[in-house]
Amino acid sequence: MKRLTLNAAAVAVLVVTIFPVYWMFLTAFKPTRDIQSETPTFWPSHPTLDHFATAISAPNFWIYWRNSLLVTAAAVLFALVVALLAAFAVARMRWRGRGPFVVAVFAAQMAPWEALLVPVFIIARDTDLLDSLAMLTGVYFMITLPFTIVTLRGFLAAIPPELEEAALVDGCGRLAAFRRVAFPLLAPGLMATSMFGFITAWNEFAFVNVLIIKDQSLRTLPVWLSSFRDVFGTDWGATMAAASLFALPALLLFLFLQRHVGTGMTAGAVKG
Amino acid sequence: MKNRILALVAVFALGACGTGGEPAPGSAQASGAPAKLTVWIMDGSVTQDLLKKFETEYETAHQGVDLDLQVQAWDGIGERVTAALASTDAPDVIEVGNTQVAQYAASGGVTDLTARIGELNGADWLPGLAQPGNIDGKQYGIPWYAANRVVVYNKDLFAKAGIKEPPKTRDEWLDITTKLNKDGNQGIYLAGQTWYALAGFVWDEGGDLAVQEGGKWRGALDTPQALAGMDFYKRLQALGKGPKDADEATPPQHEVFAQGKVGQIIAVPGVAARVLEVDGTLKDKMGFFPIPGKTADKPGTVFTGGSDLIIPAASQRQEEAYELVKALAGEKFQTELAKAMSFVPNRTGLAGVLSGDEGTAAMAVGAAHGRATPNTPNWAAVEATSVIKQYMTAVLTGADPAAEARKTSESITTTLNSGS
Amino acid sequence: MRAGHRAFWPYLLIAPAVAGGAFLLLYPLLKAAVISFQHFRMGELIRGGAAFAGLDNYVELLSGAQFWQVLLRTLVWTATNVVLIVVLSTGVALMLVRLRRGLRLTLMSALALAWATPIIAATTVFQWLFQSELGVVNWLLVTLGFDSFQGYTWFADGTATFAVLVVLVVWQSVPFAALTLYAGLTTIPIELYESARIDGGTGRQVFWKVTVPMLRQLFALVAVLEVIWVAKCFPQIWVLSQGGPDDATTTLPIYAFKIARVLHRYDLGSAVAMLTVVILAVALVNNLRRMVRS
Repeated sequence: MKRLTLNAAAVAVLVVTIFPVYWMFLTAFKPTRDIQSETPTFWPSHPTLDHFATAISAPNFWIYWRNSLLVTAAAVLFALVVALLAAFAVARMRWRGRGPFVVAVFAAQMAPWEALLVPVFIIARDTDLLDSLAMLTGVYFMITLPFTIVTLRGFLAAIPPELEEAALVDGCGRLAAFRRVAFPLLAPGLMATSMFGFITAWNEFAFVNVLIIKDQSLRTLPVWLSSFRDVFGTDWGATMAAASLFALPALLLFLFLQRHVGTGMTAGAVKG
Repeated sequence: MKNRILALVAVFALGACGTGGEPAPGSAQASGAPAKLTVWIMDGSVTQDLLKKFETEYETAHQGVDLDLQVQAWDGIGERVTAALASTDAPDVIEVGNTQVAQYAASGGVTDLTARIGELNGADWLPGLAQPGNIDGKQYGIPWYAANRVVVYNKDLFAKAGIKEPPKTRDEWLDITTKLNKDGNQGIYLAGQTWYALAGFVWDEGGDLAVQEGGKWRGALDTPQALAGMDFYKRLQALGKGPKDADEATPPQHEVFAQGKVGQIIAVPGVAARVLEVDGTLKDKMGFFPIPGKTADKPGTVFTGGSDLIIPAASQRQEEAYELVKALAGEKFQTELAKAMSFVPNRTGLAGVLSGDEGTAAMAVGAAHGRATPNTPNWAAVEATSVIKQYMTAVLTGADPAAEARKTSESITTTLNSGS
Repeated sequence: MRAGHRAFWPYLLIAPAVAGGAFLLLYPLLKAAVISFQHFRMGELIRGGAAFAGLDNYVELLSGAQFWQVLLRTLVWTATNVVLIVVLSTGVALMLVRLRRGLRLTLMSALALAWATPIIAATTVFQWLFQSELGVVNWLLVTLGFDSFQGYTWFADGTATFAVLVVLVVWQSVPFAALTLYAGLTTIPIELYESARIDGGTGRQVFWKVTVPMLRQLFALVAVLEVIWVAKCFPQIWVLSQGGPDDATTTLPIYAFKIARVLHRYDLGSAVAMLTVVILAVALVNNLRRMVRS
């Protein structure tokens, strides 16, 4: 009886969680005629791939795809490396200014990025960095960096320093000791934090909208995602098809990392 | 460390200033390199085919010019245009909506083209496009094209309800719509927030959205005339199942119309192409008539929607950009554009191209009674905050019209008078 | 602790982070602060040459009633969402622990799906679900016998719109929180539960005596992150309601957006942002200090 109630509750949660996502996929496969109907249809009676064709054949789709991948990967990797160095200093060393630094990192998570749009634009313009993927990468790097440092610091703290010290005694250099002992243990944490960075950078629209102006070939996928709209309204079939495709990489990455993400996040957080 | 970074930034900034001033407009032409002109055109303004054709012809006629016609998505366009105007190397020509152009013109980032009015036959421009592009007597926006709303109807449903001919007055309109509104069909699908339609009704009553008094703007939805316009909207809207809390794009009304159970929608004639994309069998079943006025001798006043062309002051090729604007606003392209897109050309003298097609003919009747939104740079902000839409929803769902109108007018007053 | 000549190492290690933060965060932030003391609008952005305006922007903000209303609304918005998110995700996490493998993995994948769905797509779908005439929610309610929901206009009423937005944001946020809390639950040694049970604890007692203390840190982190994210939440509200009807859903980010990017009053918008930062910092300072100390 208890098990039955539990399962019923689980199914209810499942339905509520999945329904909007299902509706997105469903709309992507419905002919435009059926999208707005008086009684909702929960199954496509005449499934079509037209909307996916529209979405993929949009101008510059593959270029946007490449840019998004490039910018996201670069920002995430860069953030991981920089965060790892900083997290190591915070978790393993004692130095003046360590406390303020940690507070600053925490505070940086609160940065009002929406409000920094204009200053960042002005800086980019005055340093000749408009229409540059480097600037965009830099911004995404900075948006994800604080969270990455906080999480990695937690992971590092969870690894007993004695392990490294043992390796040091064995004649390894400090760096080698870190690489051989701590790094493998950190792998899940690195992956967990990269997921967060990925979703953030992959979805970002406001900055690419104003930082990439004249060179259209440098825009990214979120621009494409919002491009199926004109004076007459939005082509919802195409938008939902695009959104389904857009969600795919993040989803695949998540499913791939799932085991690591769960435990990873916690280890970092618990010791945070 | 911080200081060093800031110093570095300062060096960068200085460098940027140095390069920013260098290239004199048009200097590249002398060196013989092809002059690349970047043009921003809004999604849905021109078909791909027509764009291609124009590009080929223009590049043949102007040796040494390389056109880069970039179609712009609507989302985030306001910020993108602002950023472009503020950049050091902007696109050379930008299409902006006629309700938006004033704010850009007032910002100081747009080239003053007053001296060119004569050459472009400016005396003949549609006022609904020319006025918003004109600030303090200087012409910044060059009229490009216009479109105004008509009633698109389903001929089958009209025949079934025994309606022989389109209504000529508002009373007839309510009358036939009531007849259409039965047997599971909707007399009219009018979303609650189609505020362009409301503007027309308000103007017909002699009211306005906002008025200028002694240099100050004042929201005017609370005048008896404006309230009468809203009252008519409410009566019309009730004769169908348009959602009271959404605009005509959510869901897109042409998709609802294409289901075949809607008698009429209010839209620009270009919507017909969209309906056919959803259901091609409706081809000969769509009819058009001008929005009826209060009396049979005068059709309803309509909002003139459309676009102007601007040249950013930050464009590096002012002369070439102007030549391009001249071609885009010229008779040849205007004729092609109007025919391909069912638009009203930018000059009244070219209106002849509209005859021959039922939809555009109906539009031309209305166009003669076209008006624009209040001519102030801040009007764009009133639109963007959706206050009029929210006012309409409130009244349609039963709130006291007078009280809501007063509140909304106050809000409009505040927005219009906030300096820039 | 370490030998003297190594003293520069930590500084070298944090140098890239500090450099990045200085150029891409601190510098823009300072610029925003400067703008908040200037007369800086669209013209100044395009032409340059902004004039110093002293405290004018702050005076304009703080003297009007609207800012305080918006602030209060933001507090209500944040509290409502965060409480719901923490409670629901705790429930889901506890449920996940007890489920059999198959159903558990299915539910976890579903949560992942919801998390990975682009905000614009999720928001649009919710907009449809709550459409007055063609929406699934009204259809369902009417089918279930609640006839008053025939054509009910969710977005005409402030409270209803607020509620729809809460549902949307909670739906989007629960997956991250639930998966994190679930992962935390799995790290609690099973012996702790067993001994608590042997001592005669009921399910509720075990939860409060074992689970909560063990995961206090994690709850705190999830709560802090959600407070930050929910308070800054923008695209969902803007797409669904533009802060309306009647300003019922105008939270601080919406307010700042209206001022800065609709009215192009970048000066006043920067002032709002500066105040927001200060308020968030004050609200979270205790939490931060505690987390840093441990």
